[in-house]
Amino acid sequence: MTRDESVVAAWIDGRPVTRKDAAREAARLLATARQPVIAGLGADIAGVRAVLDLAGRVGAAVDHMHADALLRDVDVMREAGMMVTTPSEARLRADVLLLAGHSLAEAPDMRARRLDPACPAKRIVWLCPPRKLDPGLVPLHSVGRDTGELPALLAVLRARLNGHPVATAARTIKAIDAMVTELKSARFGVAVWSAGELDALAIEMLCTLVGDLNAGTRFTGLPLPPGDNGRGVLEACGWLSGYPMRTGFGRGYPEHDPWRFDASRLAGSRESDCAVWISAYGAEAPAWTRDLPTIALTTPGARFRTPPRVQVEVGTPGIDHDAVQFVPASGTLMPITAARPSEAESVASVIADILAALPESSSC
Amino acid sequence: MLTRLAGGHVIDPVHGQDGIADLWMRDGRIVAAPDGGDADVTHDLGGKVVMAGAIDIHSHIAGANVNTARLLLPHWHPAAADRPDATWLTRAGWSTDVIGRLYAAMGYTTVVEPAVAPHHALHAHLELADTPIIDTAILSILGNDDFLLGLLRDGESGSAIADYAAWTLSATRGLGIKVINAGGAMAFKSNLRAFSLDDVVPDYGVTSRQIVAALQKAADALGVPHPVHVHCNNLGMAGNVETALATISGFDGLPIHLAHVQFYAYGTEGGRGFSSAAPRLAEAVNRAKTVTVDVGQVMFGQTTTISSDVLRQFNARDRARPRKWVIYDGDSNGGGMVPYEYRRSDFFNAVQWAAGLELFLLIDDPSRVFFTTDHPNGAPFTSYPDLMALLMSRDLRAEWMATLPAEALAVTTLASISREYTLTEIATMTRAAPARLLGLSDRGHLGAGARADIAVYDLGNHRDRAGAFRHAALVFKDGELVVRDGAVVSTPPGRALSLAPEPDAAIGRRLQAYYESRYGLSDALLRVPEWAVGRSQSFEVVSCGR
Ligand SMILES: [Zn+2]
Repeated sequence: MTRDESVVAAWIDGRPVTRKDAAREAARLLATARQPVIAGLGADIAGVRAVLDLAGRVGAAVDHMHADALLRDVDVMREAGMMVTTPSEARLRADVLLLAGHSLAEAPDMRARRLDPACPAKRIVWLCPPRKLDPGLVPLHSVGRDTGELPALLAVLRARLNGHPVATAARTIKAIDAMVTELKSARFGVAVWSAGELDALAIEMLCTLVGDLNAGTRFTGLPLPPGDNGRGVLEACGWLSGYPMRTGFGRGYPEHDPWRFDASRLAGSRESDCAVWISAYGAEAPAWTRDLPTIALTTPGARFRTPPRVQVEVGTPGIDHDAVQFVPASGTLMPITAARPSEAESVASVIADILAALPESSSC
Repeated sequence: MLTRLAGGHVIDPVHGQDGIADLWMRDGRIVAAPDGGDADVTHDLGGKVVMAGAIDIHSHIAGANVNTARLLLPHWHPAAADRPDATWLTRAGWSTDVIGRLYAAMGYTTVVEPAVAPHHALHAHLELADTPIIDTAILSILGNDDFLLGLLRDGESGSAIADYAAWTLSATRGLGIKVINAGGAMAFKSNLRAFSLDDVVPDYGVTSRQIVAALQKAADALGVPHPVHVHCNNLGMAGNVETALATISGFDGLPIHLAHVQFYAYGTEGGRGFSSAAPRLAEAVNRAKTVTVDVGQVMFGQTTTISSDVLRQFNARDRARPRKWVIYDGDSNGGGMVPYEYRRSDFFNAVQWAAGLELFLLIDDPSRVFFTTDHPNGAPFTSYPDLMALLMSRDLRAEWMATLPAEALAVTTLASISREYTLTEIATMTRAAPARLLGLSDRGHLGAGARADIAVYDLGNHRDRAGAFRHAALVFKDGELVVRDGAVVSTPPGRALSLAPEPDAAIGRRLQAYYESRYGLSDALLRVPEWAVGRSQSFEVVSCGR
C-alpha cells in the first residue's frame, strides 16, 4: 500500500479517495469557479505562501477567520498610527499596565506578565474590568463595566490628562483623575487591548491616549493577537501581496478591499461559487450557512454544517510538522520544530498538489 | 551552454577595461574567450554599454519594519514605483515580488537589507527568499541590546564581545554588523529624547562611543569583510555635521562605514539656521582613508521613512506626511515608520537634495562613496536612474536647480560644482567598490570566474540616461537572461549571502541560558534554520578574513 492510501485521510462527497484524486477534484472545482474564495486560512507561513500562489493562479480572494479583529488594529494603524511594543518588553520593563476590556483577564500570559518576580512590580489601571478577578490581577484603579463604555471613558480620561474640564459624574471624574495620576507617574507604561473585544473607535482613542502620555513619560501599546496564526498570516500577506488579508486576485493583480473580499459576505451573497476552507490549528468549520462547494483542509474533527465536496485532513503546524508561525509570547515569527512529528499532511503540501493538478490554461 | 556577448562597450574598473570587447559566459560564470568553437547563443551588443550587475549596499527592502510600513501605507504603493501603465505591476502592491523585479530591471543583481534586528532575522530572510532574481543579504543590528550593553557595563573582554558578535552573525545569517544610534533606542525607553556620541545609556553606564568602538573592534577581530556599518547619532538635525565629524575622527583607526551621511551633512548657517555642511564632511571623508560612506540621497516625492532609530523617528513623527506613524519599542532596537513627502518647494528638502549631490561630487574617490537613497528614507530605489543621470550631467542639475528655492541653494555650493561622473566612476561606485566592501570577490567585475551577473544598457540617447538605467536592455543573473528591453522575462530565485563564523561553544551555552531566563524562550528567537526559510532559498557562505 502506498503512503497516499494508508495515511492521508481524504474524501470526495464523503467517499474516501486518494490524496491525488482529492487534489484533482479540488483543482477541477477551482479552475471552473468564477469567484473562488480561500477562507479560514489557519495555516503556517509555508501554507500562506502556497495559498497566495494558488490565489494568483485561480484569481481567488483571500481572507482569514480572525480578519475582523486583525483589520481593526490595522485600520487604526493606517488611519492614525500607533505606538506598540513587544510582550517581552511589556513584561521586563513596564511598571504600569493600562488594561482595556474584560477579556484581558483570560489572556494566557497576562498573569505571568504581571507577576514575574524578576521584573518590575506592575501597577494596574483597568478600564472595564470583569466582575470577578484573579487576586494577582486586581487593579489599583478601575472604572466602567461594559466594553461599550470605553470610548466615553477614554474621552474623559484623555480630557483630564490634558487638563480639560468634563461634564460627568463626580465619582467618575475622581476615579479617572486617580488613573491619570497613575499613568503619568509611569516610567514605562503599556496599554494592553484585544481587538477581538474592542471596536475600532475604542482602539483609536486608546492609541491616541498613549501618544499623549508620551508628552511627559514613556508609554506604549500591546495589542494582543488572535489565534490561528492570524498575525503571521497578516505579515505574510503583507510582504507577498503588499496588502493585508481580504485581498482579491481576480483581476490578475492584488486588490485590497475589506468589504468586497470578506469571505462571509462572498460566501453568503452568492458572489462566490467555490470556497477553500483551511483550519490547521483548530478544526474550525466555516460559519456561513449557504451550501457552497467547499474544499476543506482541516485537522480531524471539524464539524461542517454541510459536508465539503472535497475534504483533506492536515496536521497541526508545530505539532505534526515543523512550522514557522507567529508566536504571541515573542511577538515575532519563529521556527517551531514538531512536538510530535507525524505523517499528517501540511497545508502547503496539499495546496502544492492542487496547484500541480490545475490545468495550465487557468494561469493568469 | 556557452554564451557570447558580442561587441559591447565593456566597462569594468576592476580590470581597467573601458572599450569594445566580447564577453563569454558558461554555467553561470564569466569565462575566458575560448580558443576556438562557437557560442551556443550570441547577443549582439553593438552600441550598448556592458557592466557587472549592480550591488546596493543599503536598501530597506525586507523585514518586520518594512512590512509594517506596507501595512501602514496601502495607498502608497503606486507612488513607490515608476513603471509603465501597461503591466500588472502598475496595480500590484509593494510586495517582495515587485521589489525583485524592479531592481532587476535596473540591472541590480545584489541588494543588502541593512537593518535587521536579530529577533526578526527569520522574518527578514523569509521576505528575501520571496524576493525573486536578486541575491540578497542582511546586516544584523547590535548596539541597543541588553546582552551587549551588559557585557560592556561589566567590563568583559573584547574577545567576549567578538564571540557574541560571531554568535549573532551566525545565528541570524548576517553578512555584517550594523549599529544604529548606538544606545539611543535603549535611552529612549528610559525617556531620553536626545542621544549623542558621548551620552551615557541609563542603567548601563556606557556611552554611544564605547558601543561603536566595541563593535568596530569585534568586526575587525572576526575578520568580517564589511566594516561595522554605523548609523550615527543625531540624524536629521541642524548642526549635526559635528556629530559626523566627531565620528570620523573618533574611529578612523580601523575601517568603518558611515551610512546615509547626507542626513548628517547639516550646518546651522543662513537665515533659517539650516544649511548644507556637505563640503566640510566631504573634505573629512577625503582625508580619512579607512572611512567609507553611502550618501542616502533625497529625491522629491512621496515616500516613507523606515528606521530602527526609534528615538529619531519618534521626534520626527509630527512631520509625518500623511499624518500617521508607527513607533515600535522592540526588544532591542525597535523602529519607526513615518511617511514623508519631500517637496521641491520646501526649503529644508531642497537643502537636503543639494547636500547629497555635493557629497557625491566633492568626495574624490568613487570607491569610498556609495550610491544609496537609503531606500525608502531619502527616496524609493526606483529613483536611482534619475540620480545617476544627475551625477553625470551638470546641465541636468542646473535644470533641476532652476525649479528649487534660490534661498535653499544659497546655503549650498552645488551650483559651483562642475564635476560630471563618468560611466567608469558609476561602475566603480555601484559595482566594483560595493563588492570589495562586502567581501564578494566574484561580483562587481567581469573577469573570468566572476558570477555572470551582467547588465547591458542602451545609453545612446544622452537626454534620457535615466530611462536607459531604469530599463536595462539585457540583464543576466548567473548567466540566465532575466530582463530584456526593461521587462522581466524570467524570475529565478535569488540566494542569500551570509557569514558563518564558528561561534565559541561557551558563548552559545551562555546565550541559551540568557534567552531562557530573560525571554522564557529558547534562542530559536533569533535562529534562521534553512528549513524554516523554505522556498528553496539557498545560502551562500562568504568567508571571514580580510
Ligand atoms: Zn538605512
